[in-house]
Amino acid sequence: MKRLTAITVLIVSCIFCFSASSSGQDAREVSKNSADIIALSSMEMVTTLKIYDQKGNVRTRKVSIASKKFGEVTKMIMRFIDPADVRGTAMLVYDYEGKSDDMWIYMPALKKSRRIVSNEKGKNFMGSEFTNADMSKPNLDDFNYKLLSTETLNGKNCFKIEATPKTKELEGENGFSKKISYIDKGNYLCYKIEFYDLSGKLSKTQSISDYKPVSGGKFFYYLMEMNNEQTGRKSVLTTDAFQAGSNLSESLFSPANLEKQQ
Amino acid sequence: MKSKILTILAILILNTLSAQSLFTDSQKDSTSEQKNDLAQKTEISGYVRGAFYGGSKNYDLTSVFAQFAFKARYSGKHTILHSEIWFRGGNMFDKYYNKLDIVEAYAGYVSDKFDFLAGNQIVKWGRTDGFNPTNNINAKDYFFLTSDPDDQNLSNFMLRAKYRINSAIDIDLIGVPYYRSSNYRFDLFSLGQYAKFVGPTVPESKFKNGAIAAKINFELSRIGFSLSYFRGYDPFHGFNVKTINLDISNPNPAPEILYTATSFHKQSFGADFALPLGSWILRGEAAYNRTKGADLFMFIPAPDISYVAAIEKDFGGYLTILQYVGKYVPDFKPLAEPVLSHPENPMSQLLYLQNMVYYQSAMFNRKIFNQQKSSNHALSLTIRKSFAYETLTGELTGFYNITSKEYMIRPKLSWNATDNLTFSIGGSYMHGPAESLFDYSAPVMNGLFLEIKASF
Repeated sequence: MKRLTAITVLIVSCIFCFSASSSGQDAREVSKNSADIIALSSMEMVTTLKIYDQKGNVRTRKVSIASKKFGEVTKMIMRFIDPADVRGTAMLVYDYEGKSDDMWIYMPALKKSRRIVSNEKGKNFMGSEFTNADMSKPNLDDFNYKLLSTETLNGKNCFKIEATPKTKELEGENGFSKKISYIDKGNYLCYKIEFYDLSGKLSKTQSISDYKPVSGGKFFYYLMEMNNEQTGRKSVLTTDAFQAGSNLSESLFSPANLEKQQ
Repeated sequence: MKSKILTILAILILNTLSAQSLFTDSQKDSTSEQKNDLAQKTEISGYVRGAFYGGSKNYDLTSVFAQFAFKARYSGKHTILHSEIWFRGGNMFDKYYNKLDIVEAYAGYVSDKFDFLAGNQIVKWGRTDGFNPTNNINAKDYFFLTSDPDDQNLSNFMLRAKYRINSAIDIDLIGVPYYRSSNYRFDLFSLGQYAKFVGPTVPESKFKNGAIAAKINFELSRIGFSLSYFRGYDPFHGFNVKTINLDISNPNPAPEILYTATSFHKQSFGADFALPLGSWILRGEAAYNRTKGADLFMFIPAPDISYVAAIEKDFGGYLTILQYVGKYVPDFKPLAEPVLSHPENPMSQLLYLQNMVYYQSAMFNRKIFNQQKSSNHALSLTIRKSFAYETLTGELTGFYNITSKEYMIRPKLSWNATDNLTFSIGGSYMHGPAESLFDYSAPVMNGLFLEIKASF
């Protein structure tokens, strides 16, 4: 069940890479610009997560997601399409500004929606190399930022920004001691993040690619890969279909509707 | 290759038909066959399972079966059809069987605001886990022993209307025209050589014997709660003594006591809530059950208040749910054990025998109804943890009835060997003082289970 809580705000799953900013006000400005360029008030998508173990064996998860802002609340509904044994499982998240989310889960065998809470940002997301922290909207104030240098990555001139959790508690929650992000100086798109474990060793490397423009000058990624540098496992998140905007009514984003849409 | 083509196709469709909903369409795409409109709106799924449950004192092979579950669903703009059919064959309690179960089959009208469904449905109310005082609508087969307690749910024909006032408030109205009782196999228990069970005594199939239920449900920002009402015959029935026979022409006359499962009528006024508090979540559920005739008929429980208080938290990946399960009987009247006043008098002996049968039977009903004292208390604890990148899940549930000193433990380990193949192994062990419900149940229901399930 916790793996589902990880997907609370998948639509902003790559925002975290923009949360790093250069030192001082400049860093925060970079971060804000990075967040803005992928911020959408509503969207729908179908995404596939492939989880590879050390031997290359693969497991596949496929989910559909819809998100839309109603008033001050961004509501997101996510539903498993595959594999078959979890098909129909759904999750609903109300993301509020300034307070913790409301979350519900619906499992077909349970035949009713159930309110849940989640507090484990460092846990694996759906059994993959991604963590819940990777998939949820970060709080900029949780981190200290430092501009390390500028570096060319695949021909792109990037800021190389280090973000460190402000407290030991935040380190534990997020599951890393620091992360280094590579953010395009021209358009603020993030292409790579290196995560370091609590002992300071490089643990995972994330690459984000296949950005495509959507409406209003915004972008959205279609491919995200996380390589575990210590175990040899990797996970690949592919956006199969994406739609900026959504014509779904608010009633669909309700706990009562989770049951109907099984 | 096929998935890439489908992905490209999906993107093309998206670009050309941007007014459609990607989210809702994707729900109907699980078969990956978007050949025509019907295929887009129809979903076929199911599973095949082989299951073993056994090792009890009375049965080496308590329940061994193979099962094919077939699910079909059609969702139109305002139409919904849903069915789940089980084909099952095997051996249960030393009886071979092949059977077809309509787990659910219903159809109806749906819209943003209003749904109306008719057919065989399973409705589960209540916000606590496993113990739900407000859940009175569907029956259960308590003796279908598998790795998943949800397999025990039995559907019933009903009419269900749901009206969503807004995204936070909805009203559920249910009418159940005929009664379906839960299944207890007390005939399998060692209740004495003279006790026999005959067919159930159920209410006549008349409108007045149907059940109605209503619930108003609130899902607010910081709390979810509901108020509910049920009026009808309780699927969780009692037992009545149908006849007591004594062949006095026999030199050693042996009594024969015939029991019949007998349903009772009740009204239930319920409420529940779920309240997140940081990383904790509190749940509660309670119902006042109003019955009439408990003083006259042993199969009718006394009016009571049933309640469950639960607290849930994830401790470093260990999801922990602790529940207190209570029942208060305001007008509790202890049963007086009969006394043989004139041992030498044959008529007095017969009267004593009859009174003792009624006394023991009433006591047994009180055990079923968890009304052994005016206040009855129990605790349950469930701990669940996933390992190995969520391919392995361990779960341990324990239950202890403080009032009757009975307990049960149920460990379970599930391994998702592949995306569609799951192995489950575990067991159930219950124990209680002599003549307690678990003492009767243990020789039949204790055991180990092993299941292999492949989904499609």
